Amino acid sequence: MNSAELDRSPLLEVEHLTHYRYGAPVDLAQHLAYLRPRDDATQEVKDFDLQIDPVPLQQRSELDRLGNPRACFTVTAPHRELRVRTTSRVRVRGDDAFELGATQPWEAVRERLRYVAGGAFEPAAEFVFASPFVPALPALRELALPAFAPGMPVALAAVDLMARIHAGFAYRSASTEVDTPLAQVLVTREGVCQDFAHVMIGALRAMGLAARYISGYLLTTAPDAGAGSAPMLGADASHAWVSVWCTMADGSPSRWLKLDPTNNVLPRTGHVRLAIGRDYSDVTPLRGVIRGGGEHQLEVRVRTRRVE
Amino acid sequence: MTAVSSLPTPHAAASPSLAFEPSEPGAAESWDECRDAHGQLRPSWQRFFDAAPELRDDPAAEFERQRAAIAQQIRADGVTHNVHAGEATQPSAARPWSLEALPLIVEPGDWADIERGVLQRARLLGAMLADCYGPQRLLKDALLPPALVFRHSGYLRPLHGVVPVAGMHLHIVAFDVARGSDGRWWVISQRTQSPSGLGYVLHNRLIVSRLFPEAFRELRVQHIASGYRRLLDTVQQQAGEVAARLGDGNMPRVALLTPGPYSETYFEHAYLARYLGLPLVEGADLTVRGERLFLRTVEGLQPVHGLLRRLDDDYCDPLELRPDSALGVPGLVQVLRARNLVLANALGSGFLESSAVQGFLPGIGRALLGEDLLLPSLATWWCGEPAAWQAVRGDLAGRVLRPAFRGSGEGARRIDVSHIDAMQRRVDADPDAFSVQGHLPPSRAALPLPSGRLSARPALLRVYAIADAADRWHVLPGGLTRVATRAPLSVSMAEGGTSLDTWVRTEGAVDSFSMLPQRLGLAELAARRPPVASRTAENLFWLGRYTERTEQAVRLAQAALGLVDGDDDVPAPLLAAMSALVAAQGLVPAGTPGAERSPARFERNLLAALVQRDGGIDFDLQSLARVAGALRDRLSPEQWGLVRRMGDSFHRGFARNGSGVPSAAQAQPALQRLTLQLAALTGAQTDRMTRDHGWRLLSAGRLIERLAGMAATLACLLEAFDPRGGSAATTELLLELFDSRITFRARYQRHEDLLALADLLVFDDSNPRAFAGTLRRLRTELAKLPGSDVARAELRARLPVQGAGLTLAELASHDDGAMGERLVQLAQTLQASAFDLSDAIGQRYFAHADGGLTMQRV
Repeated sequence: MNSAELDRSPLLEVEHLTHYRYGAPVDLAQHLAYLRPRDDATQEVKDFDLQIDPVPLQQRSELDRLGNPRACFTVTAPHRELRVRTTSRVRVRGDDAFELGATQPWEAVRERLRYVAGGAFEPAAEFVFASPFVPALPALRELALPAFAPGMPVALAAVDLMARIHAGFAYRSASTEVDTPLAQVLVTREGVCQDFAHVMIGALRAMGLAARYISGYLLTTAPDAGAGSAPMLGADASHAWVSVWCTMADGSPSRWLKLDPTNNVLPRTGHVRLAIGRDYSDVTPLRGVIRGGGEHQLEVRVRTRRVE
Repeated sequence: MTAVSSLPTPHAAASPSLAFEPSEPGAAESWDECRDAHGQLRPSWQRFFDAAPELRDDPAAEFERQRAAIAQQIRADGVTHNVHAGEATQPSAARPWSLEALPLIVEPGDWADIERGVLQRARLLGAMLADCYGPQRLLKDALLPPALVFRHSGYLRPLHGVVPVAGMHLHIVAFDVARGSDGRWWVISQRTQSPSGLGYVLHNRLIVSRLFPEAFRELRVQHIASGYRRLLDTVQQQAGEVAARLGDGNMPRVALLTPGPYSETYFEHAYLARYLGLPLVEGADLTVRGERLFLRTVEGLQPVHGLLRRLDDDYCDPLELRPDSALGVPGLVQVLRARNLVLANALGSGFLESSAVQGFLPGIGRALLGEDLLLPSLATWWCGEPAAWQAVRGDLAGRVLRPAFRGSGEGARRIDVSHIDAMQRRVDADPDAFSVQGHLPPSRAALPLPSGRLSARPALLRVYAIADAADRWHVLPGGLTRVATRAPLSVSMAEGGTSLDTWVRTEGAVDSFSMLPQRLGLAELAARRPPVASRTAENLFWLGRYTERTEQAVRLAQAALGLVDGDDDVPAPLLAAMSALVAAQGLVPAGTPGAERSPARFERNLLAALVQRDGGIDFDLQSLARVAGALRDRLSPEQWGLVRRMGDSFHRGFARNGSGVPSAAQAQPALQRLTLQLAALTGAQTDRMTRDHGWRLLSAGRLIERLAGMAATLACLLEAFDPRGGSAATTELLLELFDSRITFRARYQRHEDLLALADLLVFDDSNPRAFAGTLRRLRTELAKLPGSDVARAELRARLPVQGAGLTLAELASHDDGAMGERLVQLAQTLQASAFDLSDAIGQRYFAHADGGLTMQRV
């Protein structure tokens, strides 16, 4: 990214509070957090602050195998509440634009991901297979098929699929839990951004394509959206969208095309990425294993705003 | 000579009485381990039977004798194999291990082939893991399909880039091998993540080598003990380096991690832990702090540097691996990332167990080792490779279809002509998920039948490769041979298979190493007194309490039956008090009228409750068996056997009665027998256990239960004590329940004096059942428990400072009526103190254990 482009990119600030309230004291808690935005070619973390209350005995930050920042911490002080608050300032640059019609036909992409003895290996192949939250279901293939006309460039087919999912599923906040099975979402046809992402990933994989889950935040009104456009869905909590692996007809380097099926948009500068993985289970923003605690209540608040 | 010896045995001339069953159709094509192509015994078997002449004389009787000896030994040692462990919630699903007398004999030449091939494959698998969790060259060069790595739940992404201590992913690998009809050995499958069977191998050897001591020597069978020593040495040496790096000195702590008593192979976890001298721990015994692993003990958290793992890898860390695992240790993967623990085996090798991987091994061997495989795998086609599936799709009959991934709920299936179409469709729908393998009719081993004849049955041999600390592999000269008894293909122990000892012959010297302890240095001597895990301590404490509680219940049941059944005229107040005590102990159902009102009904209910499942005594016995079962690595086999047998023999005592109510005449001997067994158990606990903190807590448990029980007894029965005389029966009953009759008679002859009674049952600190005696010993044990002086004083403060908290002189100052009241009051106070102390001990020493707090994922 050159500095001129950087200067034109918006600077976003995200505040994210996760608050657990427990019915009984927790005497030991071990947590894993994917709450620090990624630092990579298309976004730059200017500032990041992580506050944990009670103060953990130990805390460690590292990058996971896919370059996602994560933090592990252990709380040994008995507690009935846990608050994890982050503040991130991120400059987001959209991906370089490219001609969607210049991607290879989806069948060709599928063949490149298929194993042939002695053939070429594509690291993207890791994202072709079913994953814990995205099992292979016949209904996913049925959902995908209408978008995948023979010979259709893969990016155009994916955009078509995104539109169909956006039209065919209702966004309803709190309509599902984090562990609502995908099969149920496919029946009720409603869910939150995480479900939209899982449905789309499953449909893409059903066609033999490689698809990734992206966890992050969304600016309420995208900075690059036109005036008077509707506020984006999923902005009051952490957000999720997907990417699909595309190869180019002219042989130029392959790329991951990002798609937000909840809002039927191609994310540009209003989406802050925390982490990428196969599905939610790889990059859950905050998870933990506790001893004790009894029943618990979870409250999550996210505020995203443009600061310059 | 019996009739058996005259059976026709045309080819086995030198052992005229040994005959084989005729082979099943089709069996002729497979290799016979016992006989050559002409039906002659192979030379080693000839020598085997020569060295066991008793088998020639009367095979039926001799095999029967051996079968009984084996069964007896398996029962005595409690060797079990839990069936369908995945679904079982009760350890009672355990079934006895099955073992046959005749071994599988492997000749030196055959063994050399197996050994060479297995060593090479163990090396190869280690190199594959290093690659798949590192540079992934095998994927990049398309030598291994991405599906077999990334789609397999045994490939654990969080472990990518994590290099185990000493770079060693595998410490032990098991290979299932079988001999084809041409006499060559083939690899059928491999177990990389936590191979089972080593405990059974050892126990099988112990039994079978004793059945045929001469043949064992004569045939120069290799010993196996050094293989176990090597496994332990490797882990200990590497753990020692970890301990040194972490500044924990040069005495590393190594433990054996088990999923717990509900696991399919829990017997062998406990058995191996005892044999190797390692503490047996469950996930809940361990905890992670600051990227280090600790054991929760009664002396606080103690570092752990090495684990021999028998818990499936995806269960090991609910934070980063399977979130629904309640068996693992949250944060364990962080410990591994920091390389602060030797885990044998390292996590993440499960994907190598897929049958589909077999087909790619030859190419991988050439790429990683530059070697061709010495021991062939069965021909394997992974259907996810279009060319392979197309090649085999039209030619499926007689081959075996195997799932490529675990968790599909499907097993391997032999494909017969009638369902080829269905199989093709299944594979076409998801080709990645299957592989097709050639079928190998395994060689046949001799299995003795009740008739005294031998039957040749298909056999599969599991052999074990073990790495030393220099990363060289060694093959344990022996193994687990499993034999099909029913289903021709299945040698699975869960499907009615049985096992054989495996005798590997050598032409060289026999390695006579044994696991006998070596001479230890002073530092080692100190370090060999391991701290007691909190969960173990809690179980020991309850072992003490349940043992005492059962004893009291049995004594009370005997006394109650004696009272209602006897000829003496028992005063009504005593019958009422006794009935209340019996009801409080749960020995009669709630609502049973007292014996003073309806003696017959009371007696019937008491007798009925004795044989009832979950009735008072049965409940105590079950509780006793449960805690003892969780302590199998601590208790001697005799003690554990005693506990297991008590319940059975108690119920058997009534068996003739069917489901009806037993008679008092039946009940008394059964109760008497139980009393003796309990006395043996108490003796073993008192005399034959090491006096560490665990033992002290066991003793404290027993004494607390005694204090509570005796206090309840005294408080209840004094209601029936009439100080103006006529209380002979009450005195008798109290003396019986306090087991103090002989002393009382020696001191006070036929007095019924309350003060004399109180002197013996309350104040006498030399009487082990008196309050003062119990309290004195309890204070002694509490003083030796771990913790600060303040903490110990805090525990002791719950008990009277000295004596029983009342003096004889003070009691004597009361008049007769008030004396009784004062004693009842004291008894009630002491009962409350006992329970209070029990809770305080629980909080102080077991709060780290898994009883109170459950683990959950949020």
